[in-house]
Amino acid sequence: MDCYTANWNPLGDSAFYRKYELYSMDWDLKEELRDCLVAAAPYGGPIALLRHPWRKEKAASVRPVLEIYSAAGVSLASLLWKSGPVVSLGWSAEEELLCVQEDGAVLVFGLHGDFRRHFSMGNEVLQNRVLDARIFHTEFGSGVAILTGAHRFTLSANVGDLKLRRLPEVPGLQSAPSCWTALCQDRAAHILLAVGPDLYLVDQAACSAVTPPGLTPGVSSFLQMAVSFTYRHLALFTDTGHIWMGTASLKEKLCEFNCNIRAPPKQMVWCSRPRSKERAVVVAWEKRLMVVGDAPESIQFVLDEDSYLVPELDGVRIFSRSTHEFLHEVPVASEEIFKIASMAPGALLLEGQKEYEESQKADEYLREIQELGQLTQAVQQCIEAAGHEHRPDMQKSLLRAASFGKCFLDRFPPDSFVRMCQDLRVLNAVRDYHIGIPLTYSQYKQLTIQVLLDRLVLRRLYPLAIQICEYLRLPEVQGVSRILAHWACYKVQQKDVSDEDVARAINQKLGDTPGVSYSDIAARAYGCGRTELAIKLLEYEPRSGEQVPLLLKMKRSKLALSKAIESGDTDLVFTVLLHLKNELNRGDFFMTLRNQPMALSLYRQFCKHQELETLKDLYNQDDNHQELGSFHVRASYAAEERIEGRVAALQTAADAFYKAKNEFAAKATEDQMRLLRLQRRLEDELGGQFLDLSLHDTVTTLILGGHNKRAEQLARDFRIPDKRLWWLKLTALAALEDWEELEKFSKSKKSPIGYLPFVDICMKQHNKYEAKKYASRVGPEQKVKALLLVGDVAQAADVAIEHRNEAELSLVLSHCTGATDGATADKIQRARAQALKK
Amino acid sequence: MAFHLRPDAPELPDFSMLKRLARDQLIYLLEQLPGKKDLFIEADLMSPLDRIASVSILKQHEVDKLYKVEINKPVLSSSEQLCFLVRPRIKNMRYIAHLVNTDKLAGRTRKYKVIFSPQKFYACEMVLEEEGIYGDVSCDEWAFSLLPLDVDLLSMELPEFFRDYFLEGDQRWINTVAQALHLLSTLYGSFPNCYGIGRCAKMSYELWRTLEEEEEGETKSRRPEIGHIFFLDRDMDFVTALCSQVVYEGLVDDTFRIKCGSVDFGPEVTSSDKSLKVLLNAEDKVFSEIRNEHFSNVFGFLSQKARNLQAQYDRRRGMDIKQMKNFVSQELKGLKQEHRLLSLHIGACESIMKKKTKQDFQELIKTEHGLLEGFSLRESTSYIEEHIDRQVSPIESLRLMCLLSITENGLIPKDYRSLKTQYLQSYGPEHLLTFSNLRRAGLLTEQAPGDTLTAMESKVSKLVTDKAAGKITDAFSSLAKRSNFRAISKKLNLDYKAELTLAQRQPFAL
Repeated sequence: MDCYTANWNPLGDSAFYRKYELYSMDWDLKEELRDCLVAAAPYGGPIALLRHPWRKEKAASVRPVLEIYSAAGVSLASLLWKSGPVVSLGWSAEEELLCVQEDGAVLVFGLHGDFRRHFSMGNEVLQNRVLDARIFHTEFGSGVAILTGAHRFTLSANVGDLKLRRLPEVPGLQSAPSCWTALCQDRAAHILLAVGPDLYLVDQAACSAVTPPGLTPGVSSFLQMAVSFTYRHLALFTDTGHIWMGTASLKEKLCEFNCNIRAPPKQMVWCSRPRSKERAVVVAWEKRLMVVGDAPESIQFVLDEDSYLVPELDGVRIFSRSTHEFLHEVPVASEEIFKIASMAPGALLLEGQKEYEESQKADEYLREIQELGQLTQAVQQCIEAAGHEHRPDMQKSLLRAASFGKCFLDRFPPDSFVRMCQDLRVLNAVRDYHIGIPLTYSQYKQLTIQVLLDRLVLRRLYPLAIQICEYLRLPEVQGVSRILAHWACYKVQQKDVSDEDVARAINQKLGDTPGVSYSDIAARAYGCGRTELAIKLLEYEPRSGEQVPLLLKMKRSKLALSKAIESGDTDLVFTVLLHLKNELNRGDFFMTLRNQPMALSLYRQFCKHQELETLKDLYNQDDNHQELGSFHVRASYAAEERIEGRVAALQTAADAFYKAKNEFAAKATEDQMRLLRLQRRLEDELGGQFLDLSLHDTVTTLILGGHNKRAEQLARDFRIPDKRLWWLKLTALAALEDWEELEKFSKSKKSPIGYLPFVDICMKQHNKYEAKKYASRVGPEQKVKALLLVGDVAQAADVAIEHRNEAELSLVLSHCTGATDGATADKIQRARAQALKK
Repeated sequence: MAFHLRPDAPELPDFSMLKRLARDQLIYLLEQLPGKKDLFIEADLMSPLDRIASVSILKQHEVDKLYKVEINKPVLSSSEQLCFLVRPRIKNMRYIAHLVNTDKLAGRTRKYKVIFSPQKFYACEMVLEEEGIYGDVSCDEWAFSLLPLDVDLLSMELPEFFRDYFLEGDQRWINTVAQALHLLSTLYGSFPNCYGIGRCAKMSYELWRTLEEEEEGETKSRRPEIGHIFFLDRDMDFVTALCSQVVYEGLVDDTFRIKCGSVDFGPEVTSSDKSLKVLLNAEDKVFSEIRNEHFSNVFGFLSQKARNLQAQYDRRRGMDIKQMKNFVSQELKGLKQEHRLLSLHIGACESIMKKKTKQDFQELIKTEHGLLEGFSLRESTSYIEEHIDRQVSPIESLRLMCLLSITENGLIPKDYRSLKTQYLQSYGPEHLLTFSNLRRAGLLTEQAPGDTLTAMESKVSKLVTDKAAGKITDAFSSLAKRSNFRAISKKLNLDYKAELTLAQRQPFAL
């Protein structure tokens, strides 16, 4: 096992640093790295190279090439740079490449070299040109800081939500600072810069001079500075060859190291792991790499090739033309297990497991651990150490040891072991050369599986992402469905495949997977200008509510309307309607409505309350004269106050009814006009209230007022039928109790309604005397009823017997009450008996 | 409604859950506006609200004063927070907009919250936006769609449904119906058997199915508490609604109007000077026994009941102290309660009798009978004519006309014209609009030439045989059209037992 620690280098007494190869680089670089602008994204992200930077005097005709590689050096994109000179490259947290141009424009590219968007850093930057730029990461996203030719700083803390801030002037800054960096503290971005022997911290409000505590005097210039991954620590490289390390707040010094090299280092980055007490920076010169910490000695490596350092959460990635390495502090668990002659429980367990395969010595090891009661700890150590191993064979042997130890434990919760196995499988898969994401376990945990999946999707590694989801049994909505949806969104961008094929392919893969929104995919298709495809995809969307908004956006309003109607959701229909109303001219809008009765009625309802005039137009457009007539009739009651206005409205209504061939309604409306005018005249001449009475009531009112002549005139004019007139007069005269007039009226001619109503109404007015008069005139078929009404039961019985009518007999019988009518009742019974005999 | 349960009938689902649900939801919404507030309630939400949450509950949740939404009336509330509980109607929006804008002009800022019941419509929000107050009010929905009126009766209390759908052809409420069905199925399990007749029934069913499918897989494996569900469009059976009421409950509704399962008995019933609000449901022991009785039997029943009651009271004679104590503590309260109810219902009966004898109820029933059976058509028509001429009652006259139209598959053109003329003369020409509406709803129509009874009848019988052959969809759509009452009632034999067997034999594949 001792050979395993061969690449471990001690720094001080307590820490080891090791460097191992991640990949041997596949790329075929024609240029030296030093001739390129280089940007590598953290978390094993991609590497961008822009060859032929402008600062080299080269033939202007040769266009530079922007190349993007995976961490394993597999080419992802290569494109000719057609835009202006670039000052700086950097990756955003979403793995988008930000290229800061000299004129302050920032071009944003995707991982595959697809141009996404661009934005400008403001006029001031444009005028003064960009001298230098940094891309940094904050908790909000990714920021850009720019040093302009006027030695002023402009920054944006989040390029996703671009807000430019111009920082205050640094007093006395006449030339570019020797070094500077962006710092994020207390949720705000600052700039720390070094001018000669002075350090300044510039924030939004002010610029203040700062001094690192405990700095060895004699510094006349700071050559390099580095901020740790978490912005917690700061390292300064001075021209005296000292490296000062302290907190980023410049309040505390951690240590200082004199490396005796005065040449400015090419790069300096922090190399520390989270939750570790060790602090170290890695400094790179042309041929030399030095790890410096709180120890009298440093670790030195020789660089054979031109290299580039990428700070990571828990170490430093170093890549060159041929290799890609990772340098980090050996984690505690690994150290305990693998340290030479370690007696840590994990180390014993690992040893024991190895022996188990060969001899009985395993028992001794186990016993030793168990005696100390450290078996649980041993298992945990092995599991943890496995996580930090890069080589699958080492992972396996550690896990095997853990599994072995687990057998001797009663209640060891299995999830940590299971989870580690799963995580390592995922990690090994993405670390694969073809995938090229060299994530460490700590980075993976920090990044989370969701983000990792997103990154796989971003690299268009859909099958792997789906396999991971399935392997980890992620819920479909978060996992497989989401990835399929992304895949579909990518698929629709394949311009060389026909719409049908794409739609079919997508539907075959996605089917009815829950959580997949076809409308989102369609929206993407529409975004690529493939409207037809979008419509085809929308067909698969089961929820009409989702189809409609996009259809509207694509200006397929009519289709949207029919979809909305299909959905049965009236609100949706209404949304489309209002959209259509604004989009189409009135005529077209109405024509569209005409074919959609459901939408039409909905809109009509709305108009009825909100836009009466539109309602009229709607009817007009449809030549719906019947409704138009009704509309005007309603208006004559609701909208018009003056009598002339009402008559005019009715006239319009009547005309409409004629057009609708509704003679009846037209006539009725005309009658109403006449009546209105007449009522008006009556009011003028006789006083009193006539307007808005019905014809019947008008006549009644006239009779009640004693205007009999007028009443008759009116009845003639409006051709009131006899029957009605008789009922009307009868009721009115009885109400007046004008019995004389009533009698006269009854004799004026034969009553068309018979005389029973006369009897009835007299009785209702409690005038038995008058009632009896009419009872005698009632026709034979109603005689019995009339007699009963006036209370003459005996005579009623006689008539009924005479009629030999069974129904009448029972009616009379039911009116026979108690003693008074006893005789009559008997009589009827006898008559009945007789009738039966016959 | 409250048929006497057969002994083997399964227990009814606990519908009071719906009430609790609605109440909790309302309280939640009220709590969204913390602090004291005045509540404006739309008139026709008052009775339903009363059944859900009492005033004291509202007060508990810091409702200060209650107002009725009255269009064109000044608002007197001085509260800093106003809450409106309204139906999603445009006129309500205008009312609120007017109020808010008046406040704005006066430089006053208050908090406004609009709670729509049972749901909000985009059109309403549109109006708020057009009136420029969309940002000033907050909108919420009180998805209160089913009110349990009795142990076995739920109502959506959505009176505008009929007008909106059957007259205006507006389908906005169908979604609400589907939501209500969805609520029922989530609470009481999915319905295993669905049957239906009519276009709206079909749409509601389909929308509901869509809702269910969207949530498929989430709630399953519930034992359904509701076994069968029948969807019936009102326009399939206008006749029932148009006939005179003859059972006690119906007549109480006719005379006093039952609103949300409760009725206001006036002084003439209570025989005191106050009117009394009485809840009519299965808990009223007297009522539950007579509600479905023909009115002619009710009096007899009530007097029998009164005698029994008297006998119960009389028992206390000759009791010793112990028995008496028992009687007073246990039975007396029940007897008193029964006594009170009995006197109320007797009072109600009297009122009904008085009202019905004033008109010739007998004649009316006879005419209706004639119409339903299809005999003495001429007499019926002239009876209706006389009814109109005498201005007996505008609504009754219309009712009879509609009944005539439906049973005869439309009036013959001559009658159609003359009855309408008569009606206009009696009640004013504005009813031209009434007639146009009735025609649109298919309640009062003119016979199309050639559309005679026999022709229709043969069409329907053909249709029914088609149905037997399995062409259900055809049958459905033809049935959904205006149907001939007589032919359909003959075929379906409008009797619930017969219909049930039909449905079982031939489930309407909706």
